[in-house]
Amino acid sequence: MTTAVTTATPKIVPPPPEPAPAEPNYLNINYSLWGWLTTVDHKRIGILYLISITVFFLAGGIAAGIVRLNLLAPDGAIINEDAYNRAFTAHGVLMLFFFLIPAVPAVLGNFLIPMMIGAKDLAFPKLNLASWYVFMIGAGFGVWAILAGGIDTGWTLYPPYSSRSSQSNVVPGVFGVFISGFSSIMTGLNIMVTVHKMRAPGMTWGRLPLFVWSLYATSLIQLLGTPVVAITTLLLMVERVAGIGIFDPLIGGDPVLFQHLFWFYSHPAVYIMILPGMGVVSEVLTCFSRKNIFGYHAVAWSSMGIAVVGFMLWAHHMFVAGISYYSALLFSFLSMLVAVPSAIKVFNWTGTLYKGSITFQAPMLFALGFVVLFVIGGLTGLFLATLGTDIHLHDTYFVVAHFHFVMVGGMVLGYMAGIHFWWPKMTGRMYSDWWSRVAAAIIIVGFFLTFVPQFIMGYHGMPRRYPNYPQEFQVYNVMSTAGASILGLGYLLPSIYLTLSLFFGKKATGNPWSATGLEWASPSPPPPFNFDEAHMPVVVCGPYEYALGIDQMGRGLPEGPGLGTANDPSSKHDESSAPGPMNKETEVVG
Amino acid sequence: MSASTHSPVLKHHFEDLNQQHASERLGMWMFLATEVLFFGGLFGAYACYRLWYAAEFEFASSFMNVKFASINTVFLVTSSLTMTLAIRCAKLGDKAGIYRNLLLTFALGSAFMVLKGFEYAEDFHEGILPGASSFGVTDLKHNIKTDAEHAGLDTGKVRLFLCFYYIMTGIHGVHIIIGLGCILWLVQQNYANALPPDNYSTVEVVSLYWHLVDAIWLFLMPMLYLAGAHIKHVGH
Amino acid sequence: MNSLPPLIPVAASTLAYQFEYLFWYITIVTALGGLAVYAALLYFCIAYRRGNTTGSTPRILGSTKLELAWTIIPTIIFFSFFFWGMWVYTKAVHPPQDAMEIFVIGKQWMWKAQYPNGQRVIIGGNPRNMTEAERNSIGKLVLPINRPVRITMISEDVIHDFGVPAFRMKMDVLPGRYTTAWYHPTKTGEFHIFCDQYCGTWHSLMVGKINVVGEQEFDEWLGGMGSQQGTEQPVDGSLAFKGRQLFLKLQCIKCHSADAKAAAPVLEGLYGTRVPLKGGGGEFADPEYIKQSILKPRLKVAQGWEPIMPSYEGQVTPDDLDALVAYIRSLKRGTTPNWTERMNPPVGAPTVRSEKKE
Repeated sequence: MTTAVTTATPKIVPPPPEPAPAEPNYLNINYSLWGWLTTVDHKRIGILYLISITVFFLAGGIAAGIVRLNLLAPDGAIINEDAYNRAFTAHGVLMLFFFLIPAVPAVLGNFLIPMMIGAKDLAFPKLNLASWYVFMIGAGFGVWAILAGGIDTGWTLYPPYSSRSSQSNVVPGVFGVFISGFSSIMTGLNIMVTVHKMRAPGMTWGRLPLFVWSLYATSLIQLLGTPVVAITTLLLMVERVAGIGIFDPLIGGDPVLFQHLFWFYSHPAVYIMILPGMGVVSEVLTCFSRKNIFGYHAVAWSSMGIAVVGFMLWAHHMFVAGISYYSALLFSFLSMLVAVPSAIKVFNWTGTLYKGSITFQAPMLFALGFVVLFVIGGLTGLFLATLGTDIHLHDTYFVVAHFHFVMVGGMVLGYMAGIHFWWPKMTGRMYSDWWSRVAAAIIIVGFFLTFVPQFIMGYHGMPRRYPNYPQEFQVYNVMSTAGASILGLGYLLPSIYLTLSLFFGKKATGNPWSATGLEWASPSPPPPFNFDEAHMPVVVCGPYEYALGIDQMGRGLPEGPGLGTANDPSSKHDESSAPGPMNKETEVVG
Repeated sequence: MSASTHSPVLKHHFEDLNQQHASERLGMWMFLATEVLFFGGLFGAYACYRLWYAAEFEFASSFMNVKFASINTVFLVTSSLTMTLAIRCAKLGDKAGIYRNLLLTFALGSAFMVLKGFEYAEDFHEGILPGASSFGVTDLKHNIKTDAEHAGLDTGKVRLFLCFYYIMTGIHGVHIIIGLGCILWLVQQNYANALPPDNYSTVEVVSLYWHLVDAIWLFLMPMLYLAGAHIKHVGH
Repeated sequence: MNSLPPLIPVAASTLAYQFEYLFWYITIVTALGGLAVYAALLYFCIAYRRGNTTGSTPRILGSTKLELAWTIIPTIIFFSFFFWGMWVYTKAVHPPQDAMEIFVIGKQWMWKAQYPNGQRVIIGGNPRNMTEAERNSIGKLVLPINRPVRITMISEDVIHDFGVPAFRMKMDVLPGRYTTAWYHPTKTGEFHIFCDQYCGTWHSLMVGKINVVGEQEFDEWLGGMGSQQGTEQPVDGSLAFKGRQLFLKLQCIKCHSADAKAAAPVLEGLYGTRVPLKGGGGEFADPEYIKQSILKPRLKVAQGWEPIMPSYEGQVTPDDLDALVAYIRSLKRGTTPNWTERMNPPVGAPTVRSEKKE
């Protein structure tokens, strides 16, 4: 069976002229703090989220630094056990709930979805602003809990420890998570309705950019999964505050029930964290290899598949928690299924590079880093989905390494790729190409050094959440901490050069990467309603028509990164192939 | 399309009223899905214990006040009717009718909460409480925990049922109160003439929420109140 | 700092071997798959870098054949992981019928194990968090090699997990419900026990050791005679421990105090030796002799000592006698306890500590 390309190609239009800078654009339409705090512009809200989650990322990173420094010595190098327990809990809570979950959906999703589908804003702009406030209120409680001494239950909050035994600020911390969950629901709802109802004329589901598909799938999970953690955290708080509770073994309650309810959300939550990153990778790989995505439908359906199947796996976190033999079999089996769409995506991304024309600016380096690290993260997940091996590896550093590979090596790199890709659009500035590539390299190398030793020591049995450990694990811990310092340095660099770019960066054109998405059809930074209201976009073809050299409105692409377009006489040019898609051989892969 | 042809109720980021209404409806249905999952966690947890501890749960349920619950059910179902009538009035542009039906809905919902308050007070006096102590109340009509012991049942599991009773009816009550707030908001919107016939979907969207809260009660009530209806004993 | 440990951690049970085969199968297969992807990525990035191409690209949309191939093949491979894993897991959670059962209680932040004969041992834990008695009984979980053992566990407070990396086995320990794990140890030696479910401040100190010993050594230990613990004292709950308590309660310690001024022969290391008797001859110090010495002490007096030991006939039951024998049997050099306890002396026993005149 071959994949034929038979539809009539649109008439070629030369690249549009560089759009005039928007006057005013969404950034300079007003300069007041009040204007920012009462905005209903999805782009400004995206920036508000960007600033907030960067702060929480820094806080979570400091907590990680404390954890890793303490692990230099087998009996705790810098803090006592109680402080260590609070440090790793703070790291988990901050990073998961206040950075990873909102990162791409609330920052990039908010900013880009309306632009990518040719709309003026999200469906519910006021709800969008409310979601940021709710997020900040929730984060406020979380930060208060940490500053008031912290929580020491681990981010997983298992009772009876968290409900009866812990002497820490459980209720404010959990309340913070509870509140910020509503923000997640609001964002998810907003994105889903927007994608359903506000696509530009011609933007069919089959022409949506894969970033939108990923975020749609993410929003589905946010919408349906988060309410369950909401009720779970609420029940936990009731038990802790009022002393009555349904997880209390003394009255016949079952603490394992908490685990079921908790993981029913928290497993799909990890797909909330990874799917948007996958969407970014699809956008970046296609742009920087100048090719269509290989297998658009496969990748789109994979996102949906991951979202749906992802709801059926939760008890693979509980294989040794006391669940029945048959439950364990079922959840292991289903967990194998979810690995398949992820594998499909990786193969399709690889196929996208085939016969491309690839350049390696920072977004591409981050995206390739995502693929490389996600492969390891995903494959090591298989060890944990397999029952026989999970018994030994559960609650060891093998798990820690696995999830850091997918969440940091995957998602954070995906977030970085997205920030670096869309930075010119968001800020109207270009950043230092050289420093950004260096940062990407340092982050990827530092990441490897930090987490590969953890696989080994987990396999050897080093448990999680241990400030004191047997001497034989020290060498791995030291290696891991050394890597973490490099990783930290790597993260520091973007905070410097991206900030500097705001003041000293070259002004960006509307489409500096020569990408095909609708978001690049507007000036950088865009005007408040994204497009010239008299000329809202009309879509005539799918995304990623790089080979044809057209964007989604059928217009030509400007001079791209690297050596220019096929039409550029200065590029290394094969004269025998005539320019223009009408005469172009469309290679068919059988 | 130019600004001058905009209907006053059209929000600027939408292309036309159809898109706006369709989005609002879809948004509310999605929100209802989250509510179903929110309560679903509770219902799922209850189902587990109901299966495991059938005797204790039925015993504890037999102490619930079925009369109050039935009256409350009538209140809520009727309020759903009046809410739907409010939509009809909005479609027809009957502003007075909108007021009437919204306020009736509000009254019925409030009556539900008031009766609930009486019910909780009675439960308190009867010692039907989930905690280990009885808050120092000494003139209890009977103590459900000692009754359970006499019946040879596990007091802890009886208390577990009561935990569910208070948590589930409590959270449901919170949702009723939120719904009452939304109804008042609609009254205010009506006052501001924001509910003309081409914007009736605002009323529809709130009514969807109200119907869901009603529907949840229709599941909650039999679960909590009727599980022990076959057990006859003195008191209720 | 130590040198790097060996690549494969010690595998000390049947399950551990089953684990290793499965683990390395998955490792090799996934490594091959991952490396194949990396090879393709690397090759494409080099072969199709901008400097090496014209800048114009072919319009490739996909390939249904490839999609099917790389959907079906990984699915089959992943299911192979599942089925092998299921096989190992089935073995791991179904203990054989004849497994010896040991009860383990987890509590913040120690483990309390009890053997079938009532013997108890405390494993690991935070010494700062224990009573004096508990600290004295910190020991190791002693297991016999090549005999399956089933651990039945419950928690007194929060959720813990009893994990033994060398056995590749762990299981959560829950409050309100029993869980089980089982092992078939195949190597002697000491292996880590870790608490593998976060349980609070001293979670990382809720660790201990499993000590797998030979069959005979285990049997001896079970009788309270081995010293597999940190202390030389008999293990709490064992017969010898009970004997020790009796030894102190009946005030045998007053005379048999094993110091220079003792009024009676030292009993350390006595068991199984030949005791020369007053008046000639000798007696082999077996249970018979010891019991007789307790009930009718003036019959056979040890050479060099006066017949001053009171009789305990009527004050000790046959079980007590067995316990005392077990204790005396377990007494090693230097382990006679100090006489610090103050209890009412039994009828007939001297109330004043007699000084032995040199």
